Amino acid sequence: MKTRLFASIAALLSTPLAASEPVMFCERPLTAQPIAENTWMVEGLREELSTSNCGHIGNQAFIATPNGTILIDSGSSPRFGETLKTLIAQHTSHPVRWVLNTHHHPDHFFGNAAFDEAEHLTLASTRALMARDREALIDNVERLTGRSLARSHIALPDTIEAGEVTLGSYPLTLYAMRGHSGGDLVIMDHATEVLFLGDMGFYQRAAATAHSPGLQQWQEELNDLLGLNARIAVPGHGPSAPSNTVLEQTAHYLAWLDQRLGNAASEGLGANHILAVEIPDAFNTIALTEYEFTRSVMQLYPRYEARLLWGTPQ
Amino acid sequence: MATPTPIITLPRLAAALPAFLAAFIWLIVMLPSPALATVNTAEQDPLDSFMWPVYRERFLGDAPVVFDERVIVSAPSFAEDSGQVPIELDARGLAANGEPITDIIAWVDLNPIPRLFHYSPMSHGLAKLSLNIRLEQASAVRVAVKQGDTWHVGGTYIEAEGGGCTTPGIAGADNDWENTFGELQGRLFATESEQRLRVRLSHPMDSGLIPSLPAFYVQSFELLDQQGQKVAALDIEASVSANPTLGLHMRPSAEGYVIGARDNNGNRFSIGLQP
Repeated sequence: MKTRLFASIAALLSTPLAASEPVMFCERPLTAQPIAENTWMVEGLREELSTSNCGHIGNQAFIATPNGTILIDSGSSPRFGETLKTLIAQHTSHPVRWVLNTHHHPDHFFGNAAFDEAEHLTLASTRALMARDREALIDNVERLTGRSLARSHIALPDTIEAGEVTLGSYPLTLYAMRGHSGGDLVIMDHATEVLFLGDMGFYQRAAATAHSPGLQQWQEELNDLLGLNARIAVPGHGPSAPSNTVLEQTAHYLAWLDQRLGNAASEGLGANHILAVEIPDAFNTIALTEYEFTRSVMQLYPRYEARLLWGTPQ
Repeated sequence: MATPTPIITLPRLAAALPAFLAAFIWLIVMLPSPALATVNTAEQDPLDSFMWPVYRERFLGDAPVVFDERVIVSAPSFAEDSGQVPIELDARGLAANGEPITDIIAWVDLNPIPRLFHYSPMSHGLAKLSLNIRLEQASAVRVAVKQGDTWHVGGTYIEAEGGGCTTPGIAGADNDWENTFGELQGRLFATESEQRLRVRLSHPMDSGLIPSLPAFYVQSFELLDQQGQKVAALDIEASVSANPTLGLHMRPSAEGYVIGARDNNGNRFSIGLQP
């Protein structure tokens, strides 16, 4: 009650603080771009985790509401989370009261620890995957960024159910999907018509498929999201853009990948035949296409062979 | 003052000629022959791996060796799942001219079990093969193809690290063989020039390097014609991935082929494939 009262007083008094000096992370300025009223996104570099980007590869977004700020995803380390917190304070005086994690990959929830006064929320399916992969993902982030993480600070969020929810007094619609990681939270803000896709959407950065239960399921869910007719989409990686543009690019790439894998498996060819195909020009402008394509072939091809060659149900 | 006499004069040279010639011939005869051979056998390893001289000696012995671009080894540039790295060998360009190919040997320079396979194409196998391998760390992967008495060597280099949201411990835990152990599946795809066989055997391929897990792996595959005659043979080591999946390329055969496999515990597996 006390917090709420304080929050409303703060709301009356405050105007967003002027960005006095740039917030730096990993020797680069960290910036928040306004994408709608009271809504900002922070775009990660269109790269894989590395020592030179200190792990800042995923997007975050935040919505300033009268009862506190809602943060969507928190980056890949508690240290990044701290920097993000400073950046958010330059744009709104409302402290972060809710952190929503879109899925279990490290670049989307390892920064939660910096927001210890906020509620951390995700889908039950996502939380189960976080519990399963936490240790391996911490190892990966440490290995690839060359920085150690305060392991005990990487905690699991609480769960929230999909559907209409109200955070403070702010309504959002949550969708439980599975296409990218097996547990994907997609958030629709009807007030601003902004759709927060998490990694269900990749734009100008090739889709990662390591934990996808199936490219066909992912495509079907993207099709459902097209039906929401959102104005703007914030993808998990890459810039924001009109919602259809983001959803269609992800869907086209997945359809192409699905077809390449399916054709090769049906003809009894080896994985290296798929890797030898030329990537269409339409995808060559997308960052990391060759890299992610190579990874996807290795991750997914045995499943395509099981289904199309050996007739094993998956 | 005496006239200076040059030490070397034409007549003296002429007199010494037979002696020079004799010394030259002696040199030619006595020089160790491998020293001459190096001139033509490309000793410089294109992948610049310090293990090259060791494995060259161990696997290829004294036979002449050349690095040859017609021995094409395809692989992804990095291993997403180090337990399952797809590689493909294609030496049909080499087979197209010259003597028949008798042996194909492959190894990974920096694996604890370096050797991958020994393939004998015999009468019906083509010089092309694909399978998945294990990669302990970033390494050169070699294939040596014996044509006549010469080994033609090709290779590639594979980095060993996957990406940030890959979870090797989980992605690699492939225990489904327990339910399907010994299941040998295969498909045959016929074109005019070849019959492509895709074969998968459900088997753990335990190397014996993990404590308390004894070595338990498939040692050999053989291809038979319908008369039971062996027409190609492939011996593999435990550096081949669990659930070995082979891509074999065979000469067209009206009746297809029978594929047999045997592991180090004496289990035998077999399947017949018709076009």
